[in-house]
Amino acid sequence: MWSLFKELRLHNKLAAQRNPMFEKNKFAKFFLFFGGLFWVGYLIFLGVIIAFALKKSIINLEAYQALNTILPLVLSLDFLMRFPLQKPPTQEITPYLLLPIKKKQVIDFLLLRSLPHFINFFWFCFFIPFALITVTYTYGLSGVILYNLGIWLLILVNNYWYILCRLLINEKTIWVLLPTLFYLALGLLIFLPDQSPIGYFFRALGDYLIEGRLVAYIGVLGCIVALFFINRVVVSKLIYSETSKSQDSTKVLTISSYSYLERFGEIGEFMRLELKLLLRNKRCRVSLRSIAFLVVIFSLLISFTPAYDGKFTSNFFAFYAFISFGTVILTYIMSYEGNYMDGLMTRKESILNLLKAKYYTYSLGALIPFILMIPAVVMNKISLLKLCSFALFTVGFVYFFLFQLAVYNTKTIPLNVTTSSRQSSTGLQTLVSISVLFAPLLLHRGIELFFEETTSLWILLGIGLSFILTSSLWIKNIYRRFMMRRYKNMDEFRNTREG
Amino acid sequence: MITINNITKKFGDKTALNIESYQLKEGEILGLVGNNGAGKTTLFRLMLDLLEADTGEVSINNILVNQSEQWKTFTGSYIDNSFLIDYLTPEEFFYFIGKMYGLSKEEVDDRLLPFVHFMNGEIMNQKKFIRNFSAGNKQKVGIISAMLHHPSVLILDEPFNFLDPSSQSLIKKILRKYNEDSGATILISSHNLNHTIDISSRIALLEKGVVIKDLENLNKSAEKELEEYFNVDDNIQE
Repeated sequence: MWSLFKELRLHNKLAAQRNPMFEKNKFAKFFLFFGGLFWVGYLIFLGVIIAFALKKSIINLEAYQALNTILPLVLSLDFLMRFPLQKPPTQEITPYLLLPIKKKQVIDFLLLRSLPHFINFFWFCFFIPFALITVTYTYGLSGVILYNLGIWLLILVNNYWYILCRLLINEKTIWVLLPTLFYLALGLLIFLPDQSPIGYFFRALGDYLIEGRLVAYIGVLGCIVALFFINRVVVSKLIYSETSKSQDSTKVLTISSYSYLERFGEIGEFMRLELKLLLRNKRCRVSLRSIAFLVVIFSLLISFTPAYDGKFTSNFFAFYAFISFGTVILTYIMSYEGNYMDGLMTRKESILNLLKAKYYTYSLGALIPFILMIPAVVMNKISLLKLCSFALFTVGFVYFFLFQLAVYNTKTIPLNVTTSSRQSSTGLQTLVSISVLFAPLLLHRGIELFFEETTSLWILLGIGLSFILTSSLWIKNIYRRFMMRRYKNMDEFRNTREG
Repeated sequence: MITINNITKKFGDKTALNIESYQLKEGEILGLVGNNGAGKTTLFRLMLDLLEADTGEVSINNILVNQSEQWKTFTGSYIDNSFLIDYLTPEEFFYFIGKMYGLSKEEVDDRLLPFVHFMNGEIMNQKKFIRNFSAGNKQKVGIISAMLHHPSVLILDEPFNFLDPSSQSLIKKILRKYNEDSGATILISSHNLNHTIDISSRIALLEKGVVIKDLENLNKSAEKELEEYFNVDDNIQE
């Protein structure tokens, strides 16, 4: 039994280490290590700051009691963080189904294996310093230990709750309503009533855990065990639907043809291809949806609240609205095409037409943030000139830089999967995406040092326009350079392609 | 028609391909056989300019494949899934490929007619993306897409793989007829000796990247020699 557990752990470790996106990506290793270190430091810092802040500002409650009242918020944050970092077990069970191991044993091991996941220990960085500052005075070190033990058990409840929700969501998207409504209801019940019963319950639970009352621990452990068994039943039912997700079962109800692009010949055909790439593959669809959501939020905040009335912040978010739309996809330019690069390369000049089509598609795509930002213009928060200037500068200058990655991106990105930590960006991609996010702002500020605002906006607009008008030249140049590196790129695309 | 000169390709220390000279005449059907790792796919990739040769060159109709893209207009090929844009439906994929070669939708529809039986009612109008098809049906989509523009050079890597016996038989007929009607040069690689012998006018046997036998296959004349090489009878006796 133990050896099986060890073997499965080893497989998981090897899957992560030997993933082609990770193995060849020194930057990803570096980034993950220092990214992790940053978050540990940040949480410790937050733990300390919040502890002192609550101690100072809350009079009728202890600081830890105040935090415990809103514990469901911490748990909902923990729940959200798990999505990119934790896979549901059904995806990993298939290879073991034909081995002479009892199915239930494998399910149990996969469910148990989720317990030592690093995310279940992540919150210690926050709660240990917080408890040391707030709990020690009343309950001593034993109180600190018991409090953290209790919080850890609650995080484990969340672990199995997340797995249950994720399993159901993977089966049918409508299940996303379950955690949404659950956390929404918890949030409303905490904040709306004057004497919140949920807030009171979690405050009391926290006190019981600190005091080491057995009933609280038994209750939480009972939740863990109950969710474990519910997951066990759900997993064993879903295994069959996972393995029988045969190719023949997935019919598409509506197939958009974007026939209005037919009139533009071969480039129009590639523009249709680009639209289908964006809208038919999870990876692109999720990225676009998130960015669209953010842009709508920023647009509403800029338009209707004083939150971003500062010149720098309103400029940043207006620029961000345009840049992010292109950046989120163009940073990975050609990496998606890596999945079918060999097919493209056996057709004459298809890459040149593909690049042109991409440019036209994303240039037209800039109309979406433009339209979304119109309320800000109507509300007089941003001038129309500024909006036009930022849009054209992005389409010209920023896209020029992003398109250079077409020559250097050599890692295939799986299309129909959601983002995960194993599909991290390369160093160059990260550098370029950060640069294009901040460089335009800095350039704008630089120009403003010498010219008044209107003139500087016209200058930005002029720079953008000049890159747009010369786009066919620089796209051809990118194509020539891509063709010069084609063997190296194709080789890497092949090596990093999954399946 | 197709000329290979002094071509070598190494992966690390291992020589994957080493062909001094090889010519293929117009209208021939070449069957490429050899055990795993013999270099069949590597040779096809080099011929399609998908790999860089360490030395030597390949030319199709006197065009060096690594110097010009002109050969792509009259060459059709299917190696593996990386030739398929799998988030398209088969219809969309065929029309897309057709457009690359200047074919209208109507022309594509016409050109699909000879494949109706081969598709067996499982490919068109299924309202499914290619990624959701079975391996066999993906293979069919790949083969058809390679032939849509009526290429004068057709390169297919393991075309019989994943196909059911009826489809294997059908694709043999389709390829033979296409060769007779159009005079196209066809190159196929396969582990299936029977099918390769049935269809090929010439057979090249590759071993560790070297063409060790180049056999005319008039009336299956290469059969005996190939069976001896692959020890078919010996294996049965054992």
